[in-house]
Amino acid sequence: MIDFHLDPHSGVAPYLQIVQQVRRALLLGLLAEGDRLPTVKQVVAKIAINPNTVLKAYRDLERQGLVAPRPGLGTFVTKTLAAGPPAEQEPLRRELHAWLERARDAGLTPAGVEALFHTAFRDFTEEADEATKAEEEP
Amino acid sequence: MIWLTWRQLRPMLIAAGTVLCAAAVYFIATGVHIRHTYSADLNNCHANCQQVLNDFAASYQNLRALIQLIVQATPALIGIFWGAPLIAVEFERGTHRMVWNQSVTPVRWLAVKLASGALASIVTVGLLSLLFTWWAGPQDKIDTDRFDWNVFGTRDITPIGYALFAFALGALLGLVIHRGVLPAMAATVVVFVGVQVLVATQVRPNLMPAHTATVSVDAQLLSHPVNTTITGSPSGPKVSFKVSPPAGSWKLSQTAVMDGSGAPLPAKAVQDCIEGPSIQSQTDLATCLAPYNPHVGVRYEPASDFWPLQWYETGIHVALAGVLAGLCFWRIRRHRD
Amino acid sequence: MTAIIEARGLSKRYGARPALTDCTLHIPPGHVVGLVGPNGAGKSTLLKLACGLLAPTSGSITVLGGRPGADPAQIAKVAFVAQDAPVYSGLSVADHLRLGAHLNPRWDRAFAEARVRSLGLDPKQKAGKLSGGQRAQLALTLAAGKRPDLLLLDEPVASLDPLARRDFLRHLMETVAEEGTSVVLSSHLISDLERVCDYLIVLAASRVRLVGEVEELTAAHHRIIASRRGADTLPSGLEVVAAEHSERQSTFVVRGVPEAADDWAVEPVGMEDLVLTYMEAGSAAGAGAGAGAGAETGLEATR
Repeated sequence: MIDFHLDPHSGVAPYLQIVQQVRRALLLGLLAEGDRLPTVKQVVAKIAINPNTVLKAYRDLERQGLVAPRPGLGTFVTKTLAAGPPAEQEPLRRELHAWLERARDAGLTPAGVEALFHTAFRDFTEEADEATKAEEEP
Repeated sequence: MIWLTWRQLRPMLIAAGTVLCAAAVYFIATGVHIRHTYSADLNNCHANCQQVLNDFAASYQNLRALIQLIVQATPALIGIFWGAPLIAVEFERGTHRMVWNQSVTPVRWLAVKLASGALASIVTVGLLSLLFTWWAGPQDKIDTDRFDWNVFGTRDITPIGYALFAFALGALLGLVIHRGVLPAMAATVVVFVGVQVLVATQVRPNLMPAHTATVSVDAQLLSHPVNTTITGSPSGPKVSFKVSPPAGSWKLSQTAVMDGSGAPLPAKAVQDCIEGPSIQSQTDLATCLAPYNPHVGVRYEPASDFWPLQWYETGIHVALAGVLAGLCFWRIRRHRD
Repeated sequence: MTAIIEARGLSKRYGARPALTDCTLHIPPGHVVGLVGPNGAGKSTLLKLACGLLAPTSGSITVLGGRPGADPAQIAKVAFVAQDAPVYSGLSVADHLRLGAHLNPRWDRAFAEARVRSLGLDPKQKAGKLSGGQRAQLALTLAAGKRPDLLLLDEPVASLDPLARRDFLRHLMETVAEEGTSVVLSSHLISDLERVCDYLIVLAASRVRLVGEVEELTAAHHRIIASRRGADTLPSGLEVVAAEHSERQSTFVVRGVPEAADDWAVEPVGMEDLVLTYMEAGSAAGAGAGAGAGAETGLEATR
């Protein structure tokens, strides 16, 4: 069963944080198709948040087609998110770990590491988008 | 609400019950013994019965006075420890905000608390008074001054009226004094004692019409030296006589010595008589003053007024308690929090 | 929709001192409402007016369609936990549950006993010996056990340590999730409440300064950071709630949606900042006893 947590200072709306955590769990394979999400009551009893927040998050996930409620039984996962075959993930994860070690040895703070990653990721995504656009233009 | 009041009163009721049981045991055990002694004395005395009985009464004098004190204090104690904290404790701790939200209205809450406390007060003090009145029976027969302040208020039904009044007074003061329980207790004592004094000195003597009688200052009266007091003053010696109303009645007041016509006895006559060379004894004084037909007027309540006064006084206090309780309700409807 | 609390021009004075002035509210059901304001702003007064412990000086208040404190049926619908969670120190935990069962027409005994068990409270323990957190939980159990439609909590977590505070809120949210109870909790710190509240009332100097759903309010307010300029130079359609000027920079908190521009930056305003802004504006307005910077009237997010 997935455990949620709320970061009140992240600037991200609480219900979105729940949605993101479900998506992340799906991506990492922690949640699979047919798994039951915790009930609203279970979630708020663990982390003190407004039940409407959880309801909103679950409705959002339902709209995205990731979960579906079954009356009387709970909310169940209906689709996994393609993350690539699991076999591919392990080497990538190891490389990432090695890179993180090097970054730490180079003297980067965790915030610096994150900023560096986000900048590189953003640049990479922009480049990829532009490349796709260029291909589509006649 | 009844369950809650019972639980809140339980410690006090247990304490009162324990004290009452102990008191009952004491009163009954010693009371039986006292009555035995009394009958024995009565049977065995022949000539000097009055003296024997007086001695009997004197031997229990101090004990009776002590217990009287306790019985007299009991209504005040009820006012302080049952009445004042009744509402004041809840206001002080804020628990009224909790219990009024448990679906009971403040009016019903107050009604149950007042009724329970009143009932407990009546039963406790009623039993105490009953026991003590029975215990003091023989002595009261001998020492017949039932109207004495300490006696009147510690026998029969008057303590019940006092207790109800003290309880209601404590409750009201606890309700309106917002500074906590102790100030309410202090105020209860002060007001209660004040009312007791007021009633005993101003109200009780005027509840029923007084009887008047004239007592002649004769040799018989003067044969008891205690009845005559001669005081010196700048204008010459003054004499006053203490007269007693009929046995068992309550003396309210007496006039100064008057002559046959109702005018005050001439001072010169008194002076002459007292300073006269031939006056050797009280009897001589009596003979000397006899031509003036001296007598003293006395106002008193007859012995038969005892029970009517008990009922009146109890009734007054119960009515007062009712008024105070009514004020409690009025106040709680207006000022809730 | 039927409001859980409906107030019109509600005012309460103690002699010459105003505790609550001209309060108009229409609180929809199904929310956890945060009632925030500095000490003395009127939060306790509003809650006590809503549960019938106080009567208004003027104006009216209707709770769940009835007059507060009118009769046992009305009292049964609204639960109130006063500041410092008063309990009878001489009675045990179990006695308090019996109290609840005896006094309330609808008392959920199973729920109350289960809650006491899950809290780890010893039923025989005298309530006077409980810790602050335990007392607050007992008081909450007593309030929730009567199955109210509305729970009013006056500064329930103010004197609790962080762990006790989190425990209290968890159990409270559990009750809300289970029963759909509406809740109004007051605090002078919004940080206590922002996890759980989705509706907000800001009180300052005895008046309502801000009212509405948290999401709508945070979406409707923005912070504009610009070069030094006057508030009147901002585009119309933006309501300026607060303005701060330094030598070269002006910062405005506005209500409305400002367009992006080259000469200013637009940022969102978090709930805590929003509350503080309105509280400051309100307190200043209260002190000035005049019209504040547009924050005087109870601003309500229209639905």
